[in-house]
Amino acid sequence: MSESSPLISCKGLWKLFGDNPEAYLESKKASGIPDFESLQADGYIPAVRDVSLDIAEGEMLVIMGLSGSGKSTLVRCLSRLIESTAGSIDVAGQDLRALDEKGLIELRRNKMGMVFQNFALLPNRTVLDNVIYPLEMRGQDKHTRRERALEVIKLVGLSGREDYFPRELSGGQQQRVGIARSLAIEPDIWFLDEPFSALDPLIRREMQDEFLRLQDMLGKTIVFITHDFDEALRLADRIAIMKDGVVEQVDTPDKIVLQPQTPYVARFTEDIERSRVVHASFLKEEISGAVPEGEALPASSTIHSLSRRLVDDVREVYPLVDDAGEICGQMRRAAALDVMLGSSSTPDSTT
Amino acid sequence: MSKVVAPGSELKSAGKLNIGLLLIALAILLVVLKPYLPEFLIRLPALLVVPFADAINFLFFFIKDDLGFIHVTRAIAGGVESLLDVTANLLYGKRRWPRIGPIPWTTIALTAGCIGYALGGWRLALLGVGTFCWAALMGQWKWTMETMSVIVVAVPVAVLIGLLLGVAAWRSTRFEKVISPLLNVAQSLPHFAYMIPVVVFIGVGPKSGAIVTIIFAVPPMVRMTLLGLRKVPPEVVESGQMCGSTKWQLLRNVRIPTARTEILVGVNQVIMQSLAMVVLASFIGMPGLGQKLLQLLQSLKIGRSIEIGITIVLLAIMLDRFSKAWAHRQPTHHERGTSWITRHKLFLIWVLLVAATLLLSTVFPLAAEIGRRQAFTLSKEFDAIVDWGLTFIDPVTLSIRAFLITQVLVPMRDAYLWLPFSAVITLFAGIGWYIGGRKSALICVAYVALIALSGWWDRAMITAYMVSAAVVLSALIGLPLGTWASRKASRAERVLLVCDTMQTFPSFIYLIPVIMLFGVNDVAAIAAVIVFGCVPMTRYTIEGLRGVPENLIEASDMSGANRWQKLRTVSFPMAVPTIMVGLNQTVMFSLFMVIIAAFIGTQDLGQEMQRALSSTDVGKGLVLGLCVAFMGLMVDHLITRWGSERQKLLGLSQ
Amino acid sequence: MLRKQAVTTTKMLGAAVALTLGSALPLHAADSSDPIIIPIHNWNSQIVMSNVVGQIFEEMGANVEYVSTDSQAVYEAVRNGDVTLELEVWEGAFGAAFNAAMEKGGIVDAGDHNAVTREDWWYPDYVAELCPGLPSWEALNGCAAMFATPETGDSGRFLGGPVDWLKHDQERVDALGMNFKVVNAGSASALWAELAAAKKRGEPIVLFNWTPNFIEAVHPGAFIEFPEHQPGCDKDPALGPNPNATYDCANPPNGYLKKAAWDGMAEKWPAAFATLQKISFTNPQIAEMAKLVDVDEFEPEEAASEWLAANEDVWKAWIQ
Repeated sequence: MSESSPLISCKGLWKLFGDNPEAYLESKKASGIPDFESLQADGYIPAVRDVSLDIAEGEMLVIMGLSGSGKSTLVRCLSRLIESTAGSIDVAGQDLRALDEKGLIELRRNKMGMVFQNFALLPNRTVLDNVIYPLEMRGQDKHTRRERALEVIKLVGLSGREDYFPRELSGGQQQRVGIARSLAIEPDIWFLDEPFSALDPLIRREMQDEFLRLQDMLGKTIVFITHDFDEALRLADRIAIMKDGVVEQVDTPDKIVLQPQTPYVARFTEDIERSRVVHASFLKEEISGAVPEGEALPASSTIHSLSRRLVDDVREVYPLVDDAGEICGQMRRAAALDVMLGSSSTPDSTT
Repeated sequence: MSKVVAPGSELKSAGKLNIGLLLIALAILLVVLKPYLPEFLIRLPALLVVPFADAINFLFFFIKDDLGFIHVTRAIAGGVESLLDVTANLLYGKRRWPRIGPIPWTTIALTAGCIGYALGGWRLALLGVGTFCWAALMGQWKWTMETMSVIVVAVPVAVLIGLLLGVAAWRSTRFEKVISPLLNVAQSLPHFAYMIPVVVFIGVGPKSGAIVTIIFAVPPMVRMTLLGLRKVPPEVVESGQMCGSTKWQLLRNVRIPTARTEILVGVNQVIMQSLAMVVLASFIGMPGLGQKLLQLLQSLKIGRSIEIGITIVLLAIMLDRFSKAWAHRQPTHHERGTSWITRHKLFLIWVLLVAATLLLSTVFPLAAEIGRRQAFTLSKEFDAIVDWGLTFIDPVTLSIRAFLITQVLVPMRDAYLWLPFSAVITLFAGIGWYIGGRKSALICVAYVALIALSGWWDRAMITAYMVSAAVVLSALIGLPLGTWASRKASRAERVLLVCDTMQTFPSFIYLIPVIMLFGVNDVAAIAAVIVFGCVPMTRYTIEGLRGVPENLIEASDMSGANRWQKLRTVSFPMAVPTIMVGLNQTVMFSLFMVIIAAFIGTQDLGQEMQRALSSTDVGKGLVLGLCVAFMGLMVDHLITRWGSERQKLLGLSQ
Repeated sequence: MLRKQAVTTTKMLGAAVALTLGSALPLHAADSSDPIIIPIHNWNSQIVMSNVVGQIFEEMGANVEYVSTDSQAVYEAVRNGDVTLELEVWEGAFGAAFNAAMEKGGIVDAGDHNAVTREDWWYPDYVAELCPGLPSWEALNGCAAMFATPETGDSGRFLGGPVDWLKHDQERVDALGMNFKVVNAGSASALWAELAAAKKRGEPIVLFNWTPNFIEAVHPGAFIEFPEHQPGCDKDPALGPNPNATYDCANPPNGYLKKAAWDGMAEKWPAAFATLQKISFTNPQIAEMAKLVDVDEFEPEEAASEWLAANEDVWKAWIQ
């Protein structure tokens, strides 16, 4: 992923809670970036520390971290639900932090949508009226906003429930309403703050599938927050792992799993079944010399899905084909088996 | 180093205890040494008494006359009056615009039934119809409607004002800091203290009754609005923001609807406060049931005043249940394709009923209004019951009356009056320090010192003596009663209903039988206070004990605890914070009721308050009211402080 | 229209001139259609009387409204024109408030009723049997011990009215050297409740009472005869049996019972005002009104109609 200009870009973003944090941070910056402990000792709660991220158009970035890691604060800085302490945020070419209230409201009415952990539906409005709400704020006329709302409700599979009140729906259904509401204005940027965390495991799985289906169809730029590493691996183009307000690593799932850059990230990846995450393409090598013989393997498959073949088909090297069926490289069997079974060497040695 | 620090910090925490106890010891010393104390430590020298009342009067009359504020208040009163004229015309046919009333009683009763049904099904429908049928059949229709005509104006106005102030306090922390202590004082100020300024600025009559009711009912609305807005989940607000709402849209469409339940609980409290003022406000011209009640009591017609008391209780319970049902009502939807008629079935039925009753009352006048002569009365029966009860208890009360007066109350009262004021201040400083450290000590000293400075020390001590006697006795009755009632759910429910009734039954009616039993003296006054004071004590004991987590009870059952052991070791310790809230309310209720007991004949602040009311002395009334409020606020501070420490402790020990 | 006229006239001529003008106007000069507001208090004779007068005014074509007010605070309301008149100004109870209002202006004296009022120590009939020699105050003092209660110790108890009625009972007890202590009830209801309870038990009781009053019809009794009232007894120690003390004689046995009106009434409702000036009830009439409510259980409005029907000759004369 190396698009020319990212849709969202933040640089040196800080958020401190406490007394007059701007001045404090300014005074500290001279003597280098203060660490977590010293900030706490000075009576500040460091929620986001010096975060720089670029999110490309159409990309899904999952921000993963445990509770208190600052991921929710970060997404609220990106949507300017809270004011950042320092740094710059650029959204669709606009300096987000410099926008006045009117500009901010305009941006939200036209470009942003957000889904919340506890659904955050208005209890006094029906499903239809909840979905209509952002369109109503935008001042769209009654007929069009109703048409549009019905369309999104259908999209999330809630047709027939338009007149229900939120409390009459199950959690999963309520979150579908939340999703429909956030999509009603056809936003370019879609923030999802732990959208499935409040749901039962089975429903969560179903909602993830549903979400992937929608994303396939709509192709939004997404910032997705979760504390569930499996969910992150399942959905993400790229994952940003946060701890104590700092982004420890931003990478594709394969890299996170195979090349964790900090001990903290490594701890997360320890128990992960890597073969389910790592794709063949990730183990791809340039073909030096002749193309290896035999049937080619699809580069976009996970090692796990190729495991039977890897066991049965005992070649040294496999050719890989891309989605178009062209040979694009080769993969060594030993490397793939290392991913499947774990290796005696450290994962870093594969590069 | 560390060895030096450790004992130092220990000393610090122990110091809090010691200074408190030291101050209490000093207070005891002051009491013991009273004969040797200089006069200025026994009573504040007259020179130091601050003429607060004169200052307040000066200020009030400056605002009223010199600044011409009277025109503003009169204009407001004019507005309220024009609203009252409309409701008065509709409900009891006062000759004012729109000149279409009075609405027949059958129409109103069935309307109440329909509202009740919509809110809570058959039970509430029955309650609505029953209440108004009772009022009509007992020949109290006109007075009931006179009362209602004020309530239906006062409640919405109070709700609106409370909502606005609540939103303002929510938006501006500075405004909240100003209004919060004012609300505290306002809620502990005796009713009469409100009335005097209203008489000065507004005069007397229904409009004054409405305005004093509004003023009295606003504080809980402000508090509930603030609470509700604070409780709106941040996520919901954020979702509103992300939908691109402006601040105003956010408030109107997101925050207020989401705070609906709290706001409606506020409405419920406004209604209950308004009904509590029905009788008292008739001192300054509120028409209706309260006024009639006082007239009947004045001519010693107990039976008929009980009839009116029942109407007031029924109205209160009906409006309470209705508004609670409304507050807790959840929206439901109709299936798609439901016809308009089905969707609005109840509305159509109501329209039909209204048409039918209107028609009926043109044919049968009895359906429009039942005159006193055609009405039923139970007054003879009530009189007989009261008479029988009095005859039955009289020998008992007569025998304890002499004992209570000569052996308990008179010595207690003399002791309170004997105490040097310096000892009282020191004592409360000590208690404050012991419970909440230096800040609490300072707060207590400030309250007690202000009472001393006001020059009403002796009167205040008499009030304090009556309240403390009444609170102790209320606790002695309420705790066992509540414990007994909490053992079974159904029993608890019944006792709580009795509590509701006692709380809304007009207190003036209690005064008469109490005088008949005990005579005009402090026993009667204290007995009347206890009737009222027992209610919160019982209620919160029940709620505290029934609120003890099930798993703790099960754990102690499995440990083989018997009923008493369970109560002593598990239930009571867990229920204590709730019971303390009850104690706090008992103190508040008692303070209010002691002031009303002035109508029996007391020599405390209440008696002076009564005088201030009849001579419309604003300054004096407010100073007296504040003395009462300060006592209440001090107790409230100490109990709340103690409760939060206690809860911290429970939290830590778990 | 009329109201505006009235207001301008008042403004132009001033209150005093307006008053003479008002009473000089012919009786049928149109009264304002604004309601005449009659205050009612918390004792029945006054309520019935107010309804009687109100119905007389209605008979004359006026609009009438009633408003309940405190009987002390009402004078301030009359002055401000919030209520139009007051039908029972008792010399003893409200003389001070009335005079204070007169000094401030805005209120006029609309003449006395025929009825006279008396307020003093009183006992129910059965007490006379327990303490022979009543109604003499010396005899009462002789039986003082009989009236003792726990809170008064060996002295007898006199149950006084609320302190804000400003009766000088304690001063009188001191001046006459009586073995009594004054205990103040907090309200009239408290007085009657004590009386009823005492009667039920057959206990002796002496308390504050007044006439005309409904209680006479329910519980017959008599006033204590104190040393004869002399004007100035409350100021001049020389008067009365004790040469060194004031308040050593009875309250006036013939206090006035007055009517008062807002000073704009004559201007605004000339006919009604003229009638008000003529209205005069006697003690038996007032007792009758009270009895209709207190004994016969009529509502005040019905009692008023009842009384008007039975006494047409009395009130017809007032509206001529």
